[in-house]
Amino acid sequence: MIAANAQLDLLTLGAHHATAIPIAQPTTEMGWAGWILWLPLISLIACGLCAAFRVRNKLPAWLTVGFLGSSFLVTLGLYFQYTEPVTIELFRWIDLSLGTGTDAAGFTANFSLYVDQLSLLWMLFVTGLGTLIALYASEYMESDVGAGYARFFAGVSVFLFAMSALVLGDNLLMLYLGWEGVGFASYWLIGYYYTRPSAVAAAKKAFIVNRIGDLGLALGLYLIWRTFGTIEYSELFERLGSGHHATQAGGWSVRAIPYLLMLGAFGKSAQLPLFVWLPDAMEGPTPVSALIHAATMVTAGVYLLARMFPFLALDAAAAPTVAWIGALTALVAATIGMAQYDIKRIMAYSTVSQLGYMFLGIGVLTTFGAAYHVFTHAFFKAVLFLTCGAIMHGFAGQLDLRKLSGLRQLPGWRITSYTMLYGCLCLVGFPYVTSGFFSKDAIMAQAFISGSTGLGLIALVTALLTAYYTFRVWFRVCAGPVKYELGDDHHGPDDGEGHGDHGDQHGHGEPHAPRLAINLVLVLITTGAFLAIFLKPWAREMVMGSTARNAEPHSEGHGFWQDPHKWMPVVASITTIVGIAIAWHFHLANRKAADALRSRLLANPATAWLPVAMENKWYFDEIYHGLIRLPLWIVGHALAFLDRYLVDLVIVDGIARVPRWVGRAFQPLQNGILQSYAVSMAGGVGLVALLVLYMPQVIKLLEGWLGGGGGG
Amino acid sequence: MMAWLLLLVPLAGAAAVALAPSGRARMVALAVSTLTFLLSVVMASQFEAWAGGFGIESNAPWLTSFGVGLSIHADSVSMLLVLLTTLLMPLCILGSFTSITTREKEYYAWLLVLQAAMVGVFLARDLLFFYICFEFTLVPMFFLIAIYGGENRSRAAIKFFIYTFTGSMITLAGLVYVAWQFRETQGSWSWDIPALTAFAATGLSPGQQGWVLFALLAGFAVKVPLFPVHTWLPLAHTEAPTAGSVILAGVLLKLGTYGLYRFVLPMVPVAVVEYAPLIAVLSIVGILYAALICWVQQDIKRLIAYSSVSHLGFCVLGLFALNPLGGQGSVLYMLNHGLSTGALFFLVGMMYERYHTRDMRELGGLATVMPVWSFFMVFFVLSSVGLPGLNGFVSEFLCLVAAFAASPDAQPYPGVLGPWYAAFAGLGMIFAAMYLLIMVGKVVFGARREPDADHHHAASSLPADLTPREIGVLVPLAVLCVYLGVQPSVLMDTMEGSIADTLAAYPALVESRPDPTLEAVAEMPVEALVEADAPNFATAPGETIGGDDGDG
Amino acid sequence: MTPLLALSDPLTPVALAHFLITSGGLFVIGLVGFLTRRNMIVMFLCTELMFQAAALAMIAFGAYHLDPSGQVFVIFILTVAAAEAALALGLVVFLYRRRETLSAEAWSELHE
Repeated sequence: MIAANAQLDLLTLGAHHATAIPIAQPTTEMGWAGWILWLPLISLIACGLCAAFRVRNKLPAWLTVGFLGSSFLVTLGLYFQYTEPVTIELFRWIDLSLGTGTDAAGFTANFSLYVDQLSLLWMLFVTGLGTLIALYASEYMESDVGAGYARFFAGVSVFLFAMSALVLGDNLLMLYLGWEGVGFASYWLIGYYYTRPSAVAAAKKAFIVNRIGDLGLALGLYLIWRTFGTIEYSELFERLGSGHHATQAGGWSVRAIPYLLMLGAFGKSAQLPLFVWLPDAMEGPTPVSALIHAATMVTAGVYLLARMFPFLALDAAAAPTVAWIGALTALVAATIGMAQYDIKRIMAYSTVSQLGYMFLGIGVLTTFGAAYHVFTHAFFKAVLFLTCGAIMHGFAGQLDLRKLSGLRQLPGWRITSYTMLYGCLCLVGFPYVTSGFFSKDAIMAQAFISGSTGLGLIALVTALLTAYYTFRVWFRVCAGPVKYELGDDHHGPDDGEGHGDHGDQHGHGEPHAPRLAINLVLVLITTGAFLAIFLKPWAREMVMGSTARNAEPHSEGHGFWQDPHKWMPVVASITTIVGIAIAWHFHLANRKAADALRSRLLANPATAWLPVAMENKWYFDEIYHGLIRLPLWIVGHALAFLDRYLVDLVIVDGIARVPRWVGRAFQPLQNGILQSYAVSMAGGVGLVALLVLYMPQVIKLLEGWLGGGGGG
Repeated sequence: MMAWLLLLVPLAGAAAVALAPSGRARMVALAVSTLTFLLSVVMASQFEAWAGGFGIESNAPWLTSFGVGLSIHADSVSMLLVLLTTLLMPLCILGSFTSITTREKEYYAWLLVLQAAMVGVFLARDLLFFYICFEFTLVPMFFLIAIYGGENRSRAAIKFFIYTFTGSMITLAGLVYVAWQFRETQGSWSWDIPALTAFAATGLSPGQQGWVLFALLAGFAVKVPLFPVHTWLPLAHTEAPTAGSVILAGVLLKLGTYGLYRFVLPMVPVAVVEYAPLIAVLSIVGILYAALICWVQQDIKRLIAYSSVSHLGFCVLGLFALNPLGGQGSVLYMLNHGLSTGALFFLVGMMYERYHTRDMRELGGLATVMPVWSFFMVFFVLSSVGLPGLNGFVSEFLCLVAAFAASPDAQPYPGVLGPWYAAFAGLGMIFAAMYLLIMVGKVVFGARREPDADHHHAASSLPADLTPREIGVLVPLAVLCVYLGVQPSVLMDTMEGSIADTLAAYPALVESRPDPTLEAVAEMPVEALVEADAPNFATAPGETIGGDDGDG
Repeated sequence: MTPLLALSDPLTPVALAHFLITSGGLFVIGLVGFLTRRNMIVMFLCTELMFQAAALAMIAFGAYHLDPSGQVFVIFILTVAAAEAALALGLVVFLYRRRETLSAEAWSELHE
């Protein structure tokens, strides 16, 4: 667990910040920053028009790239104009006032931007990578030109709009808007191949699992509003820093805030126990996996916790919880990743695992480490996905690492192979030449200092596994003898109209190598991943200049072995190289050994469960199905049955039957015979006559009864 | 006086439709309803009470000796609901052009009569006038379901009529009881809603208020519908013709919530404070119960019908949070639900016209056949799910945040609910995503699956995808969904005053729990409820039955 | 004024009581006939008897009270009864044609 002194630091954090970090002031001058959001929206409308008018060329892609690129340029402009944190109101959205006078309160969530160094850091890579990946997709999606092409780019535009709102919003409701918006964009794009049932199911699963997290975020938002009376960041930090009464009062309702925020973050960033949607999300087109499910959207959870970092201090166990969840997710995802054969899924699990590192970083109080890892990961994971995508594109959907080999020797695949190699090196944190090395070490070292040895060891073991499974992919796919089988899958719906035009590029037994747009983007992003090495001081400055700033606890000793920051590079390097060596042994030097090991494990009853469980993702999906979905489904059926037969048929119709039964009781009187009616009529007249004649006696009799009843 | 035109024009239109040559009936109806819509827009633009209080007052004496007058007024909430009604009606008529082929004149005449009755409910100032309109909505709806409905239409129509009618008889009893109490204490009859409201809030004992609350709930809860009195709704919705379902979901259900807003909240505040948790629990049970049932439905229309039960649970929950966030969220919910669920019913109807089935097992992958339809389907499903940026989100969010913040220690609006209510109701958000996306996943996406090929196009001359006329029905709704999602404050500013007036008594009442005193109620600004120039048929000397016969 | 029931004196010219007794007798005959007979024409005649009983009572009371409205009513009743008779006999003929019988029991569709 986190040392006591570290925790104390965190508790005084809010107060410390309010004085050290300037609270964002509203400004009216920078309304042009709104174009960061409006440009993707215009792009969405343009793509929508292209779809409506059935444009049959690459116009939607060029429009999107243009608009997103402009959005990136505006972001750059904002970055260079930046002097101090500001909020920029674009328009009123929800602005309610409650009561008047002294106890007046309000619920204000306007469409405003919160520009500080943290949001700028995120926006720079979101819009930058978004533009590049849209460019990549212009070639990748070309088989769908005229069919789903415009729909795809409209989805990308929606995503960038929502992600910008999420990051730049000046209040939690804007964040929530973006939060659900990116979830929707992800639904849209995962389900892009909507005729494929697995894609539709994956899209649905992503949206629903995300909604579970969203509920946590929403409840956290309500609780924050109820506790602090506002959901605007600038006021929140001010109230938190000035020692708002609620923070002193404590109580469950205040202490629950960080956990609810965490639930939201874990849902969006695919952490335990809500990570199950991300691997399935690979059903979407690969650029989507790269942009949304690797580089940007899934880091929204990290952004949330970094943005609301001071709020983690509201409960002592909050930060350790984040750290442990992160570490365990990293480990579990890595073990699953080791046993998969689909290279895109392996990358998905590695994303989950790396996101675990980021949360570990937040949990051990190095927001810088987490944010820097987000930044470097965005680049190198984008490279990895885009290379996977290029392979999938070129080999007609082939993603099985057993059926691909030696790509680097194929003509036209050199750039793909070597950019992938660099991506892999970054992912495993190859010493000194990769940005991943620096960002991951910052987290792992801090885990030993402000976390515990256990956390640190998990991180190290995960690093070893990461090195193994990452290079398992590269050694299998890019190295070794040239050997491949094409997949049987074409891009896009099978009956898609655009397919015929480009069908000749697929399925002739020859892979088609990536062309200019894909290669250009691969090289650019790889360069970005490399340059990120030198951005470490810049990233530190960006984080430390924002409300996510905190004083990372230092180790007590200063000797080499007392300061993890000193020994970690060495230990991590050794771990990484050992992992790569193991992968080299099993998957390049002696490929049969891997299968032999697997069958040996399977042969021994004591260990047979291990590969099976790992290949089946530790049965998480099945457990959720059995524990949550199935019971609810049964309850749904039971309720539907009850509603129809018990509530409606028995109770409601039963009550409705009472008048009918009463009627039945008197039915024999209505025999339809005229004279029996006349008899009863005459009898009635007679009775009335008697009653009138003997009225005084009747009244006396009645009085006797009533009086007797009263007396008794 | 112009407000009367909103009632008279549709009525006159109904007569005109009945007299028109049968080929022209639908165009006449469309013209009349469009004219009414334009009138209501003009009226709204001249409406003087957007900031609070009541406007467009107009009185015509009717049964003066009994204190009854044909009087109307509107606060901003009623005005918004009138706008919703007049907006939906032309769309309903336009949407029925191809689906209604027999007894057309009667159909359009009933729709216009229905519109007059609905507008009357929202505008009525006189209790009896309100009640007459409230019940009269049943008659056109009964015929719309019974004549133009599906296979099981007569059972659905009878059930709809008797169920809601039974409930509202009890409501009538409650309302008459209030009026009778008024006569007993004030010495003369009055059916003026503001006067009765102000009287009941302070003049009835907590026990009496409790009884009145349950009497009122009996009718309004059936109408909303609240769990467990919702079972008429799936049947009626499933069997009703498309326009009937749209009106039913869009406006008729709102009569229930409007009744809660107009009568229950201001009339019996003491009882409301006492029973709000119970009502909130019922709404939450309804939200989750109906959502789980939606999950296993195979009939799309039935699914959407049950989703109405679930959605309106949020609406009621927001109202009984007893703070302006909830009030405004709830009224906004009424409008949003009318738009998005109405549109969903339109869409289901358009699909049904083409395939003659609503069974999800027989349909699939319609996105390839009907891309425009699919676009709108996904759009309105997202609006219904509450995707931020569209209309449903703001209202659902406000209702939940209101319930969350309605704990007794909240300031300045303490309530009697709390975080747990919102947490459980919030599960409805997840379930809504589940059942609606599962439906979309089956019907819109996936492998293409259509019922027998000869069904398609055979029965109707409709093209595979939507016609311009059908798109014209959906586009106004879609535009409003986006607009209200982005600019909800336009509407919320208008209702702020009215809702603050309605809820004015509650903070003091909640504070004085657990034994609410009538003194606390007495602090409520009665002036806010009773206008100075209220028509008072009751106190005119020598005109009242009550005054003369009271002693005899 | 003459006592209402002055039957004791046989020499008194016909008193109100005689009319009322006659009227009551007629009415009972009509009622019993209506209740016991099955033939629709006979039943109709019986209703006419009851009508006439009522008319007789009215004339008697009118004369007794020196009020002409009794007679006016009776004239009214007579005309209406005539109209009724035309209608009713027409209906009976119609019903007979449908069922070939005059029994009232042939027409009992009204029962549930």
